[in-house]
Amino acid sequence: MVSLKVSCSAVCLATIVGIPLSFLIALNEFKGKRALITLFNTMMALPTVVVGLFIFSAISRQGPLGVLGLLFTPMAMIIGQFILATPIITALSIAAIRGVDPRIRVTALSLGAHSHQVVMTLILEARFAIMAAIIAGFGRIIGEVGSAMMLGGNIRGYTRSITTAIALETSKGEFSLGLALGIILLTVALSVNILLRSLQQQNN
Amino acid sequence: MHKKEIADIAITNLVHQYNGKTVLDIDHLSFTRGSIYAVSGQNGSGKTTLLTILGLLLQPTAGKVFFEGKDIYLQPTAITAIRSTMSTVLQNPLLFDTTVENNIAYGLKIRGIPKAERKSTVRHCLHLVGLDGFEKRRAKELSGGEAQRIAIARALAIKPQVLFLDEFAANVDENTIALLEDVIKRVNRVDRATIFLVTHDTEQAYRLADEVINLFQGRVVGPSLENLFRGRIEHVNNLSVFNTGRMQMEVVTERRGSAFAAIDPRDIIVSLSPVRSSARNSLYGIVSAISDNGLGVRLAITAGEELTVKITKHSLSEMNLTIGSKVYLTFKSTAVEVF
Repeated sequence: MVSLKVSCSAVCLATIVGIPLSFLIALNEFKGKRALITLFNTMMALPTVVVGLFIFSAISRQGPLGVLGLLFTPMAMIIGQFILATPIITALSIAAIRGVDPRIRVTALSLGAHSHQVVMTLILEARFAIMAAIIAGFGRIIGEVGSAMMLGGNIRGYTRSITTAIALETSKGEFSLGLALGIILLTVALSVNILLRSLQQQNN
Repeated sequence: MHKKEIADIAITNLVHQYNGKTVLDIDHLSFTRGSIYAVSGQNGSGKTTLLTILGLLLQPTAGKVFFEGKDIYLQPTAITAIRSTMSTVLQNPLLFDTTVENNIAYGLKIRGIPKAERKSTVRHCLHLVGLDGFEKRRAKELSGGEAQRIAIARALAIKPQVLFLDEFAANVDENTIALLEDVIKRVNRVDRATIFLVTHDTEQAYRLADEVINLFQGRVVGPSLENLFRGRIEHVNNLSVFNTGRMQMEVVTERRGSAFAAIDPRDIIVSLSPVRSSARNSLYGIVSAISDNGLGVRLAITAGEELTVKITKHSLSEMNLTIGSKVYLTFKSTAVEVF
């Protein structure tokens, strides 16, 4: 299950980077904050092929990171999907944190919370919206084909994800196989969503 | 009760501004541990701002805040430590979106208190506020009054040395107010907690507090803010006369022009006929409302402006006052505070 492995790794990395980043941006006042938020909002609409192209040029043999030999590996696909998912998770989490009741911070402080405990409380209070941000990030990359194709190379059994397989089968004229793979992809997406949702309810 | 005579908390030259507008301007105030203080005043007088500054939840625009004699903003690392010995119940408090139990245990959990101890403290605090058995309820499902009481229980759970309560009686019915007042007195007496109450209920302020701080437009003013009028001070025959446009009274002040004046309702004498005395002010008015506040009687008297006067129940029956009775109000010019 290349799709699942790549997309789950990418969304985990994007969450690890995106959530703290969103807190840093949302809770601090600095010059250029609005511009930065606009940038993240714009990056939510990054075309997947453009991301593919940039990373391709960076990690191809002649590129600055060519020596790492990353091109046409699952790692290259993860990098591409990470770059696609991070702005979504960050931008939506910023909106989620800015949307929580400002009294939460004061209430936590007034009960003796340290700054990191205040952040944990904010995450807990904004958990539904933050979870939605992560799910949106996952949704963005599980069905993405452009960068997966360019960076993974669609190598059978190695970097062939469900989406690149659908693209291939359709171009070969195997519509029914493509359609079947499409249904599998939807099922995978649905299962991941149900899993995340149940984790969230357990926390409750 | 004996109290330590050391100013444990003090503020000097405190100024706080919101968007360039000064909302608080206090030269000096000091507070002793183990006392109850009430901050009283009208809406927008700076009560809540003062409370949040004392609770170290808001850094003032200028001025110093001292705890145990140390200037708190000179040692920012101490702020969290001192803040963790205090708790604040905000006006219209927020409960976290979880169970009542988790809400009350919040302060204990972040202090690393073991689960068994948390549970028993939660039970005890719920009992204090009269909500036994509420542990598993969701905070979102509570009524306004219940939420208020849970917020108070949550603040009490950490056994604060200083407790700040902003309008704790809002959204709460009469019986619960009495219960909460008892809780406040008990926490003060048993746990020796210093308590700051913000209230616009003057009666409650005087009933509970060892000291009442009256704020008016961000400044500390004298003992009463009842019978508060806006007007102009004019000089007539070498006398200072405060004129609201509908009522005039003699005052003692060097000020001129627009000003505020307040008269303590206990300083006004009510009589059925004019009184010949040294008091410079005598107004004629009609009783427009009578209310019993338990200890005494509060009269509203229309004499150009509406004035509040406090008398005893005995006086009320002796003078046979009813709504519509014609009375004379007498008070000294020094009883009028001008600011």
